[in-house]
Amino acid sequence: MKIWDLAKTANRNLFRAKLRTFLTVMAIFVGAFTLCMTNGIGDGLKAYVETQVKSIEGNRILFVRKKLPAELEDQMQSKGPVEYKAATKDEEGNTIDPNTMMVTVDQMDSLRKRLPGVRSITPAFPVRSEYITMEGARKYQVGLGMLSEGIEQKLEAGSMFDGTNQVILPIHLARAFDEKVENLVGKTVILAYKFGEEGELKDRKLKIVGIATKGMIANLNGFVDAATAREIYKEQMSEAPNYNMFQSFTVQLERQDDGLLKSTKDKLDKMGFVALSIADIEKRTYDAIGILQVGLNLFALVALLAASFGIINTLVIAVLERTKEIGLQKALGMGRFRVFLLFALESILIGFWGALLGIVSAVAVGTIANTVLAKTYFESFEGFNLFAFRPLALGAVMLLVCLVAFLAGVMPAVRASRLNPIEALRYE
Amino acid sequence: MLETKNLGRTFTSDSVKYEVLKDISLQIAKGESVAIVGKSGSGKSTLMHILACLDEPTNGTVAFEGRDYGSLSERERDKLRNRKFGFVFQQFFLNGRDTVFDNIVLPMRIRGLDESRIREAATGALVSVGLDDKAMKRAKDLSGGEKQRVCIARALVGDPDVIFADEPTGNLDSKTSGTIEDLILTLNREKGITVVVVTHDEDLASRCGRTINLKDGRIVANDTQGEHGEAGE
Repeated sequence: MKIWDLAKTANRNLFRAKLRTFLTVMAIFVGAFTLCMTNGIGDGLKAYVETQVKSIEGNRILFVRKKLPAELEDQMQSKGPVEYKAATKDEEGNTIDPNTMMVTVDQMDSLRKRLPGVRSITPAFPVRSEYITMEGARKYQVGLGMLSEGIEQKLEAGSMFDGTNQVILPIHLARAFDEKVENLVGKTVILAYKFGEEGELKDRKLKIVGIATKGMIANLNGFVDAATAREIYKEQMSEAPNYNMFQSFTVQLERQDDGLLKSTKDKLDKMGFVALSIADIEKRTYDAIGILQVGLNLFALVALLAASFGIINTLVIAVLERTKEIGLQKALGMGRFRVFLLFALESILIGFWGALLGIVSAVAVGTIANTVLAKTYFESFEGFNLFAFRPLALGAVMLLVCLVAFLAGVMPAVRASRLNPIEALRYE
Repeated sequence: MLETKNLGRTFTSDSVKYEVLKDISLQIAKGESVAIVGKSGSGKSTLMHILACLDEPTNGTVAFEGRDYGSLSERERDKLRNRKFGFVFQQFFLNGRDTVFDNIVLPMRIRGLDESRIREAATGALVSVGLDDKAMKRAKDLSGGEKQRVCIARALVGDPDVIFADEPTGNLDSKTSGTIEDLILTLNREKGITVVVVTHDEDLASRCGRTINLKDGRIVANDTQGEHGEAGE
């Protein structure tokens, strides 16, 4: 029998038992639909993170922190208690305390001298602000971060820092000041923050240089330049016991150079630090989403597995029901393999129709959900589509479902192919 | 054309052996019409199955045109049945929901022919059985006699050398049986197709050129009766 005739016969056989076929296809449909959706969420997150992470750029920057004691001693496996070690001094006489995550400014200076090709090291100065306002405007709370030299934040308007006492506003806040955010560039805002032991408020005038594009980080946060952050930090923290001790810092290289970036990372690693470039952070985020995606997909695969038992059941019944027909086909000279193929094709077709329905519905539901969510829950996440459907991923779902369906069909198809024609014709 | 030598067939059920056929040696020449008769349990159906390459003998040999079935692979056996043999069964084995056309072209589809050749052969077969106006009817809507004619058309469509008919009139009333008998024997006479019929129907058996009578798995009579059976009409 020609393969095309077999496929037509298989399809006709399926439509003979309409309800049964429909129910089995529905089970596969649920599995395929779920798989498309879970995979779509993963891809949606990846696509979103890509646009978000890409809102910060800088390929000569390393984010650095000290290694955890466990990382240092490679104790991740042993998980024993960590032994106390006395502080030591490095060759420049700086105290190195292995029991704290904090790094002092002196240590950073010493590091800069020992690392060739490093232009500057900037600690991550924490800035605690109370409110931000403009003349004639209300007071708003604002989270302020610091952008080290060499990090570029994507901007709606304006430009990056070119001096001190400058601020980049998040777009939501900027819109509260002026709907036409580009009008704000060059204007002055007043930042109020607590300082000293009494905690009285102090004002500082900052010039708006840019408006940050919406993103995961820049959604509510504004940024000040490193020098301003340092000054505010000094005012707020100079009396504190852990003044000038930081949990992390950034390293700015003199030039963009992947080799230099790598060698600096390696050197920092040997000195007991964890250094990550923006590319590394992107990769880590992607990996995390990838794991999430695999986890979600596993649920969908379980649904698909359950559905495959439906296929087995349907085909076993079909073989019993059509025993005489198979007997006739075999008597009339249809070979074992063709009989096998006929049932395998029926199985694959169930998978095919289920997958087709699942994919089409998933794309439809996903697209509608994206539109609705964009207008409601994710309004503040501009450009965020919860579901992203890549043609390649959808094609892979189709192939996978057909493969699962085929595997489910093997047992009944083999049974059919092994029937003895005489016994099959006599079957009641 | 068909030849068996010392053929034996033993079935084993619950470790008890039943010797269904014993030492059967016979020859069927091209163009003959042969009726295999005997009581139920005499082994006549088994003999036909072995001759038709649907079952294998336990002892002895069976050959078609000098080719011993024992030397054929499964694929060759499938091909032999598909190309050289036609089958007519008592219970028809038609697919009720399919059209007459789809039912009769099954052997051609199995053979893997082109649609145009399939149509040509189907039309010829339908004309031969007088059902050319019912090609697109569903098989379940036909009368018993018409159904059996569809079966004969299906047996005929592949231009076979031998038609094996297992109780072809067993489910039909006597008038319809007569039509079917006529049809089968006309094919035998006019197209030279060898016919092997297993039957209880004495009328049908008497109209065949030869009757092989089986009893307890042995041939007890093997008579050529000429054309005298036709005289009754």
